[in-house]
Amino acid sequence: MIERIVAVDDRRPSYANRQPDESVNYSTEHPLSEFAWLAGGVLASVALCFALVVGFAGVLASRIPFDVERDVARQIEGFWCPRSISAEGRKAQETLSAIADRLAKAMPEAGGITVSVYLDERPIVNAAATLGGNIVVFRGLLEKLESEDAVAMVLAHEIAHAAFRHPASHLGRGVSMYLLMAALSSATGSTVGAQMFQMAGQLPVLKYGRDQESEADAAAVAALVSVYGHAGGAMDVFRVFSSAASRTEGVEFLQTHPLTSHRTDEVGKIARKNGWAIDGGRRPLPDSIRSLR
Amino acid sequence: MKFIAQYFDLIVFFVLLALGYSVGRWNELRHFHSLRTRERLYARVLTFSAKTPPDVVTAQDCMLVAGGVVVSSDYFKQFAGTLRSFVGGRMAVYETLLDRARREAILRMKEQAMRRGYRLIVNVKIESTNIGGVRGGVPAMEVFAYGTALKPHTPAS
Repeated sequence: MIERIVAVDDRRPSYANRQPDESVNYSTEHPLSEFAWLAGGVLASVALCFALVVGFAGVLASRIPFDVERDVARQIEGFWCPRSISAEGRKAQETLSAIADRLAKAMPEAGGITVSVYLDERPIVNAAATLGGNIVVFRGLLEKLESEDAVAMVLAHEIAHAAFRHPASHLGRGVSMYLLMAALSSATGSTVGAQMFQMAGQLPVLKYGRDQESEADAAAVAALVSVYGHAGGAMDVFRVFSSAASRTEGVEFLQTHPLTSHRTDEVGKIARKNGWAIDGGRRPLPDSIRSLR
Repeated sequence: MKFIAQYFDLIVFFVLLALGYSVGRWNELRHFHSLRTRERLYARVLTFSAKTPPDVVTAQDCMLVAGGVVVSSDYFKQFAGTLRSFVGGRMAVYETLLDRARREAILRMKEQAMRRGYRLIVNVKIESTNIGGVRGGVPAMEVFAYGTALKPHTPAS
C-alpha cells in the first residue's frame, strides 16, 4: 500500500501543505511607527498625571503654617546644620546674618518668615535654603565671591526660596513623587516600565524646580536693587557659577536649575523692565568674610 | 565625558532599545526568510490536525514526532509591549515573534519525521508554555508542536 500514500502525496493536490499566508497574521504597520505613537501617548499622559498630582502636593505643602515648618526643621536639624564652626567662621556667619536681615526687610515676600543663616565650612561652591527658613552657605562659594553685593545676591536668592516656601513644597512634591513612582512601578511590574516612568515623571518635577529658581531670582534681584542700588551682584554670582561649571551645561529640560546663561538673560530683562541699573559700584567684602580666604 | 556620566542611565536605556530594535529586526527578517525556504523544502511532509489519516485504511507504522522552540523577546519588543499593555489592543511586536516560533516548531517536527522516512503527520497539536516574564524577567515562551507520524507498515522480511 505504499503506492496509496504516495498517491496522496504526489497526485492529489487537495492534500498539499501550502505556505502560510503572511498577510493575515502580521500587522502591516511598521513597528517603529506604532512604537512612536505608543511612547508619545503613554509618556505624555504619565507626565501630565505626575505634573497634576505632584504640583498639587507642592501647593498644599507650601500652605503649611511657617511655625509648623520650623518645628519640623528643628527635628531634622542634623541633616543640614553644620556640627562645628571655627572662630573666624562664626564671625563671618554673624556678618551673613546681618546682611540677610537687611535683605529680608527689603523683601515684601519675606514678611511672615524668620531666616537663620549657617556657614558650612566645607569647600563646596553652593548655598541652599532648607525647611524653616534655614539657609546654609558653603565656604567654597564665599571664597569665590568678590564683593558684598555678590554675597547679598546669594543670600537674597535663598531668602526668596524660604519666603516662597519652596523647601516645603519641594518636600511635598518629593514625597508625592516617590509614592506615585512606587505605585506605578509596582503596577507595571517590570523594570523597563519603572525606568520609563522615572524618566517621564521627573521632567515635570524638574520644571517646577526651574520655575522656582526663576521666581527666587526675580525676588532676590528686587531686594538687591533696593538695598544696593543696582543688580551688579547678581551678574557677579552668575559669572562665578558659569566659571565653576566650566563645562557644556547640557540640556535644560533635564536639569534642576535653569542654565546660567538663561538666568543672566532673565535677570537682565527684569532689570531693564523696571529701569534698574545692571551695573554700579560694588561694596567691598566685609573683613570677617574676606578673612575666610 | 561629563555629559556621558551625567546621563549614563538614559544613554544605556537608549542604546539597549536601539540594539534590541536593530538586532531583533534583523534576526526576525532573516528568520522569516529561512522559514519560507524550509517550508518549501518540507512541503512533502503532510500535516493534519485530524486524528485519522485521510483515505488510509491499511496498517500503519507510527511514531511520536515533536519539535520545540524557546523564543525570547528583545529589549525593544519588551518595551513596546509594556507600552501597549497600558492601552490594550493588538500586540503586533509579539504576533510575529510567536508566529515565528510556531512555524519553526512545526518545521522541526517535520524534519524529525522526514529523517525517519515519514511523510504524513496526523493529530498535530501546538502547546505553549510561558517560562519568563515574571517580575524583572525577560518574557520568553516555549512553543512545542507534536503529532503522530505515519507510514504504511512494511512487514519484516
